[in-house]
Amino acid sequence: MSFLELSGLTKRYGALTAVDEVTLGIDKGLLVCLLGPSGCGKTTTLRLIAGFLEPDGGEIRVDGRRISAPGATEAPERRNMSMIFQSYALWPHMTIFDNVAYGLKLRGMKRPEIKKRVDAILEATRLSQLASRYPGELSGGQQQRVSLARALVVEPETLLLDEPLSNLDANLREEMRFEIRRLHDEFRYTTVYVTHDQSEAMTTADLIVVMNQGVVEQAGTPEDIYERPQSEFVAHFIGGANIFKGRWDGRDMVDCGDGVMLRCESGEFSKEGDTAVSIRHHCIELRANRPDSAGTNWVSGNVTRQSYLGPHRDYLVTLASGATARTITPVDVDIEKGQTVWLHLPSQHCRALAH
Amino acid sequence: MKSASDGQAAAIDRRPRLRFDLFKPTFFVLAAGLIVLIALPLAWLVYYSVVDPNGVFTLGNYITLFTDSRMLQPYLRSIGMSISVGILCAVVATPLAWLVSRTDFPGQRVVRALVMASFVTPPFLGAIAWEILAAPNSGLINEIYRYLSGAPRADHLLNIYTMTGLIFVIACYTFPYVFTLVANGLDRVPSDLEDASAILGGKMATTLRHITIPLVLPAMLAGTLVAMLQTLTVFGAPAILALPAGFDVVTTKIWSMFQYPPHLELAAATSMPLLVITVFLLQGKSWILGRKGYTVLGGKSGVPRITRLRKWKPLAIAFAVIVLSLTVVLPCLALIKTAITHRVSDVLTLHNLTLEHFKFVFVEYSATRLAMWNTFLLGILSATVGTAIALMAAYMVSRNTVRGSRLLGLLATAPIAIPNIVLGVGFFLSYSQPALRLYGTLWILLLCFITIGMPAAYQQMSAAFHGIHTELEEASRILGASRLGTLRRITAPLLRTSVIATWCFVFVGTIRELSAAILLTTANTKLISVMIYNLNESDDLGAISVLGLLLLVVSFAIIILANNLPGLGRTPKRQAA
Repeated sequence: MSFLELSGLTKRYGALTAVDEVTLGIDKGLLVCLLGPSGCGKTTTLRLIAGFLEPDGGEIRVDGRRISAPGATEAPERRNMSMIFQSYALWPHMTIFDNVAYGLKLRGMKRPEIKKRVDAILEATRLSQLASRYPGELSGGQQQRVSLARALVVEPETLLLDEPLSNLDANLREEMRFEIRRLHDEFRYTTVYVTHDQSEAMTTADLIVVMNQGVVEQAGTPEDIYERPQSEFVAHFIGGANIFKGRWDGRDMVDCGDGVMLRCESGEFSKEGDTAVSIRHHCIELRANRPDSAGTNWVSGNVTRQSYLGPHRDYLVTLASGATARTITPVDVDIEKGQTVWLHLPSQHCRALAH
Repeated sequence: MKSASDGQAAAIDRRPRLRFDLFKPTFFVLAAGLIVLIALPLAWLVYYSVVDPNGVFTLGNYITLFTDSRMLQPYLRSIGMSISVGILCAVVATPLAWLVSRTDFPGQRVVRALVMASFVTPPFLGAIAWEILAAPNSGLINEIYRYLSGAPRADHLLNIYTMTGLIFVIACYTFPYVFTLVANGLDRVPSDLEDASAILGGKMATTLRHITIPLVLPAMLAGTLVAMLQTLTVFGAPAILALPAGFDVVTTKIWSMFQYPPHLELAAATSMPLLVITVFLLQGKSWILGRKGYTVLGGKSGVPRITRLRKWKPLAIAFAVIVLSLTVVLPCLALIKTAITHRVSDVLTLHNLTLEHFKFVFVEYSATRLAMWNTFLLGILSATVGTAIALMAAYMVSRNTVRGSRLLGLLATAPIAIPNIVLGVGFFLSYSQPALRLYGTLWILLLCFITIGMPAAYQQMSAAFHGIHTELEEASRILGASRLGTLRRITAPLLRTSVIATWCFVFVGTIRELSAAILLTTANTKLISVMIYNLNESDDLGAISVLGLLLLVVSFAIIILANNLPGLGRTPKRQAA
């Protein structure tokens, strides 16, 4: 049995179902990312876990103990969780020290003990010099670290993070990403991390849960999600992919029309209706001349856009059917706009998607 | 293990319900209280307007209202007066606001402070001050004129007891509405809009005409509508200036129907159109301010561009000096002079100085002492109760604690559409019934003042709650504080400044109220404002001046206090170590 369990969790706002029967088990000590576009229900799920919202259906259990269910939701303050908010939510009328000490005071700790623990966590987050400042006097990155320190000092069982890095600039974001992972590895609490940034999820998470329109599309390790997407949405959202649609021939090929046949070595074919075939941009091979072996898994088209990206070139090729394919090539493949090119879609990289 | 977790779950089942139960009763009590405060007076008002003195249904009151010229004329006069005041305010206040906000005019802070001072002055006090200055016989300006020109006793330069005089006096105390809205608007018009015009070749006058003025036009119109609304519903100034001149406006007409023999039904019917006009004017105002395309007024880019006045500077200064002398300086000096000399017409010499009026007001005359006690007691009570209700209502609405809590917001802001004098009529009708007789006690005044102060108090508290991100409270909850603990440790300290400011606002509004109070006070429940009005009828200007100055001093002290509270914003000032 997992440490944190969501089963059939549902939350509705009027006609809109923000979270739709989400079932998920999270083992103790894991860092889990809820990943998805805005409005996919990830923040609502997090707020349900925190107890700020009451579910309309389903339940949440921690360590086998039910903490949320319709009509029986335990208050947030009784869950032994901590949360880091998008706005940091530092109290402007308290110094950094007081902000961090707040949770410990509420736990009835003695003053010297509080001081010891706050000093230790401020040291760990490199904030010792700022203890007597007010939040308004700190930079965004410093405020973020205070918010981290305040959440960690109470040694929660579960740590919740709601898009914690979205207000930081790019450099700082990268740094804090590793900082969060480092602190997680040091303290090993169970962490649920909400983000819409896939590289943030890739670098920090043990387990990624991709959400879309209130449902879980796929849950798995970063490698699972990237290498073995199970739906068109996941393939597209994580890492970007070309999607071609066609009919399954009953064996291992998909007929995309106009003589384009794609053999897929992985994935699941759809018996009825279209099967989608996904292939990553950088897996497509681009040739200026018609190769001898052209046939299955080869298509031709016109270059409609080419951009130079330093180490790579990014091509947009329009196929005869009107569909487009994006491909990333080494920088020495230099073909002008308007030229006809041949694309090879190696079968080991073509993945059939039934959904 | 299993039984332990079941026990836990059962305990959880119970606890949250107990917690939420705390908010439900509060919600119902608040909602019921607000409904009684607002709906009851209005219901009685509507009822009285459609019955005859015997309680039989009739439309006769309305027919009288719209056919009898003695009823219709005051209405038309009031409307004409309010349009004139609106235009006058716009014409005077807009250039003044522009000078203060967008030019290198010297002493901008002084101008803003003096405009604020005229904002705080109750119009009835201003009317009395102008009576002291420009009454045809005893007015100081006329005395000086006769002394200088040697004109005969019967001659006079100015006569304040005229429609023109009345319009002038009301405008003196309503132009700040236009000024404030326009100045705030101009403060926020981003300079790039003007720079963009300048770079395209627009001269200063062109830019002003085509860009700046159109941008502040909505603010000016909205301010004008508010000024018109104030004029239409004001009682004090017309009662002091129009009645001696022998004409009525609608508010004085309503008041006269409460004099013996009373015509309460007609008074109720007369109040109804005022209510309707108020709703329309407010609707017009929010329509003008809410229109798209003018939202740049909220934009923030760069400092406002400052126009150099150059050779026009002396003219601008003269303009400001005249406006502010007429509205603030002269009336205030007149009050001070009257307070410290025996008679109004006495020349100001050392020999003529006296403290007799102060002695009279503070020591000898028991009625004024009672009025002062009543006024400040009611001020403190209604500010405290009103702020508390507004605080609770705003909390419940902004934190969405109970289903339907938004209703509280609607109820709390509803009285804004009820002119004070109409509310006064409604309260009189509601609480002079044998079943629930509060007329003659301070309670009726307290309830009425709470209602009058509620919209502004609620709006301020609501804005304050919106300024506190809910995540600040959630952060406290998740770290282990209960809802009430969070309220005490986080929300309350962050709100303290706004609460005190709101309290001050309601207090100042209450102690200067006359339009509703005039209908609700009796001999035992006199207030300073009503006292001033009564003393004016007996021509006791010395005592009036003392009371008036007392009101002004207290109001200013409170406002200065409220403005100098230590801020608790995002960047609090650090305590010097």
